[in-house]
Amino acid sequence: MVEEIKKNILQMIQKVPGVYSVLITDRDGVQVLKVNTDKAPEIPMRPGFLSTFALAVDQGGKLGLGKTKTLICSYPQYLIVQMNKLPLVVTFIANNSCNVGHILALEKQIEPTLSVLSLAVGETYM
Amino acid sequence: MGCCYSYFCDQDSSSQNGEPSERTPLVNPVSNSINNHQINCDDYLIRNANSLPKKTDEQSALNRILQETATDVIDIAALDSHNLQQHEYLDRMKQYSLKLQQACAANKLPQKNNKSILQDIPQPEKVLMTAPLSSSDISLISSIVNKATTAISDIKIEHKEELVASFQIP
Repeated sequence: MVEEIKKNILQMIQKVPGVYSVLITDRDGVQVLKVNTDKAPEIPMRPGFLSTFALAVDQGGKLGLGKTKTLICSYPQYLIVQMNKLPLVVTFIANNSCNVGHILALEKQIEPTLSVLSLAVGETYM
Repeated sequence: MGCCYSYFCDQDSSSQNGEPSERTPLVNPVSNSINNHQINCDDYLIRNANSLPKKTDEQSALNRILQETATDVIDIAALDSHNLQQHEYLDRMKQYSLKLQQACAANKLPQKNNKSILQDIPQPEKVLMTAPLSSSDISLISSIVNKATTAISDIKIEHKEELVASFQIP
């Protein structure tokens, strides 16, 4: 069944050219679900990197613009889109030339899975 | 001045989430009053050393202000990223995967999203693979449709009876 969910998410991200992987983690960067394509890079998947999102969201909330929903970071090689679904954080790792709008459009498709995942995992540490 | 002051206070309390607006005073009236209170209290303390409850009140108020300031200010230097230890990380990951398995076993997870354009055709490839219509059939269909169209356009309403009937009411 977990494999089936992974397959569904993989099919979802294969529709967007340039997306390497999707990670669903908790706020400390601990992985709950990971879906990779063949070219997925390891460096952006470090929990140390992923956990900075929660910090940034906490501090960004103080700027007076409300809750941070999505963080888009562009690096020379990669494009990282992180979505605030706390207690879960969804991270998309993509090619730098990937279409950000397409990644953002995946949010709606991935949401039904997330709601159940957060119910299943939410009681543990968050 | 007093009027303005209370007006600002009201504005503040009515504004949502207590977020600062263009009417928010730069000097917070609450902290002002506390400062005044502090001076009075200090004087009082000099005269009477037994006023312990007031001192704790003042201390808690100051602590509260400190706390609020600390939560409102983005202090980059004070941010600690709290990196998890490797074993903590692995333990937590194991626990998550276990929970996930349990949730899957309980069939809580959503089924595959079957949204597609051809939702009413379960196997579109079979429909698409069937042989196309023969040209004679197509010409037959089109000629019949043309005839039907001309027939429909020829339909006319003939006026036979009076539409408005007059009743002779005695």
